[in-house]
Amino acid sequence: MKKLFWLLVAVLLASTALAQQTRLRVFVGGQQRPDVMRKIFDLYQSRNPGVRVDVEVGGATSDQQQQYLTTVLASRDPSIDVILIDVIRPAQYLASRWADTIDKYLPAASRQELLRRYLPAYSQANVINGQLVALPAFADAMFLYYRADLLEKYGFKPPTTWDEAIQQAQTILQREGNPNLNGIGFIGAPAEGTVCTFLLPIWAAGGDVTNAQGQFSLTVEQAQRALQFWVGLMDQKVSPPNMAEKPQDTIRSEMQAGRWVFGTLFAYAWNRFQNDADSQVKGKIGVVPLPAFAGGRQASCLGGWQWTVSDFSRNKAQAHRLVRFLSSPEVSKILAIEASNLPVFPALYRDADILKVNPWFGQALPVVQAARARPQHPRYAEISEAIRVTTNQVLARQKTPEQGAREIVTRLQAIYGGR
Amino acid sequence: MTQPQSRIRRSFGDLSERALAFWLLVPAALLLGLVALYPVGRLLYTSLFRRRLTDETGNSPVFVGFQNFVQAFSDERFWTALWNTLLIVLVTVPGALVVGLLLALLANLPFRVKWPIRLGLLLPWALPLVFAGLIFRWFFDSQYGVINDVIVRLGGERLLWVTTPELLFWAICLSIIWKSSSFVALILLAGLQVIPKELYESAAVDGANRWQSFWRITLPLLIPAILVAAIFRTITAFQTFDIPFAMQNGGSSFETLAMYVRTMSIENLNFGYGSALAVLMFLISFVVTLVYLRYVRGADD
Repeated sequence: MKKLFWLLVAVLLASTALAQQTRLRVFVGGQQRPDVMRKIFDLYQSRNPGVRVDVEVGGATSDQQQQYLTTVLASRDPSIDVILIDVIRPAQYLASRWADTIDKYLPAASRQELLRRYLPAYSQANVINGQLVALPAFADAMFLYYRADLLEKYGFKPPTTWDEAIQQAQTILQREGNPNLNGIGFIGAPAEGTVCTFLLPIWAAGGDVTNAQGQFSLTVEQAQRALQFWVGLMDQKVSPPNMAEKPQDTIRSEMQAGRWVFGTLFAYAWNRFQNDADSQVKGKIGVVPLPAFAGGRQASCLGGWQWTVSDFSRNKAQAHRLVRFLSSPEVSKILAIEASNLPVFPALYRDADILKVNPWFGQALPVVQAARARPQHPRYAEISEAIRVTTNQVLARQKTPEQGAREIVTRLQAIYGGR
Repeated sequence: MTQPQSRIRRSFGDLSERALAFWLLVPAALLLGLVALYPVGRLLYTSLFRRRLTDETGNSPVFVGFQNFVQAFSDERFWTALWNTLLIVLVTVPGALVVGLLLALLANLPFRVKWPIRLGLLLPWALPLVFAGLIFRWFFDSQYGVINDVIVRLGGERLLWVTTPELLFWAICLSIIWKSSSFVALILLAGLQVIPKELYESAAVDGANRWQSFWRITLPLLIPAILVAAIFRTITAFQTFDIPFAMQNGGSSFETLAMYVRTMSIENLNFGYGSALAVLMFLISFVVTLVYLRYVRGADD
């Protein structure tokens, strides 16, 4: 009887201890390495015994994740506390009032201090209308991956202009005579990455969707030249005629199987080429900044992911503490080493431990620093659709570059005009 | 065994038959109200507001009357989506009926072992629509797809199925027909099995060949089943979403009405206009269902 009494007391104590524990639920996409994230949460739990962090893993692409999150957040579901969002989304999260802004937990002075430590692109991407919506998790940008073995075989240096890249691809394809080898791989399917494809030549020529005052400034001529460039790659046979079918990860897996000389991809591809069991190109891939256009400059597309706190969370204060930890240099370093995610702190690009695993990070800093952000707008989803679907149709030769350019400009004008 | 019955009798004993009927129907009515009437009512309500989660109307919707509907009627994209949906109905409903009828006739043949063909009939029906879409997306891939492989082996040119609008339309229709004809076949098979064997026997005695007995006996007696299948198929064809969506990697070069509703609400977060589009789609489904109800009632008489 006495034993039973003590057992009961023990159970009671244990259950109150459990009840005092805060449980935080974090949403992470399937492509953002939930396994590595789990290790980071375990570390946080071991330092904060009162907190338990659960991971919820979402879809593989940014669009799929957002579709799910839209239903959760539009119904004000409190089950998710912290969310990893794409760099294109903070403006919409603020407009929809889905994010609990970080400012409430930060005095203005220390906010300034905190933001100064990140790469400027990410402090800009996360401050919308003066409000700090999210904090950066890791950086990303597009790079040119190339087959170092093939370039070396024909005595080429990695290209610095697109004309060079086209010539090198033509020579290699002709001399190799391998029907399974293709020249320049770029993203052409109607998915988010195609927005970057469209914008790259525009940025390189000095243009953008908006001017410095945030007003719509893209011209039909700029858009047409950009579309013409990618169609031209297919005309010159350095890219196959079915580019409209190819999302980013298809190019990545084909390059991994040795089917591309060049590929324009985000940073995640490096780890896959080097470490995947089925990789045919281990040690044969080099990576450099994207080439420049004749008479233009080099430009890359800014990617990256941010931590935000759901406005419907019931543990906001605890969630904010977790987000501060997740956006710290310590976590950025773990992500760089374990997932080859680009750090959001400039100093980490010279960190010896990180460079040992990712030797190319040394050259990546200038690319990330110069990378351009896609338009920041609460209705970004519509901007993205207008660009990616039309660009895809031009690549599929359903529309001429001129028709496509007119359509994109007309649709974007309407969105920026508030219609 | 009699205990539960007597308990029911005890508590409902003093109710009149009418009152009893009322109370027995309440749970079903509540459930129907909750899962059908409330959402549809809410949809109608939202369709009268400007409500975009991307601006301040997300939290404080503004009443605009029928403005969303007026906008839809002058929205080129709405008409294109409606036209595409109609095309899908016009091609895939007859297509599925013909293929389904052939499959049902095949399954109805007196094979000694019946389960392999019945399983073959059931499998496409049991497969989720998105999977069917993804599978056919691979079949029609220009580089790795089995269809182009066959074309190339026969000496033809590779076709860009998924990115050429005309080819894409037929690829989508083929996939939908493959997926839905097994459902039609199941209904028709049930219809075939209730046709009395004596009819065929006496037709044979009268010297009718197989072709004649098919046209004179099978087809006329199968017409009720064909109508049921056609109406069900038409209702689902108006709601076509999964297969064209999955086959285009989420793109919308070929967009049906259901796809447009989803893009407008879930992606663009324009719930007011998205709801108006959904109401228009609901009205179309409603009309088709009315035709069906009228037919069912007619059959009862």
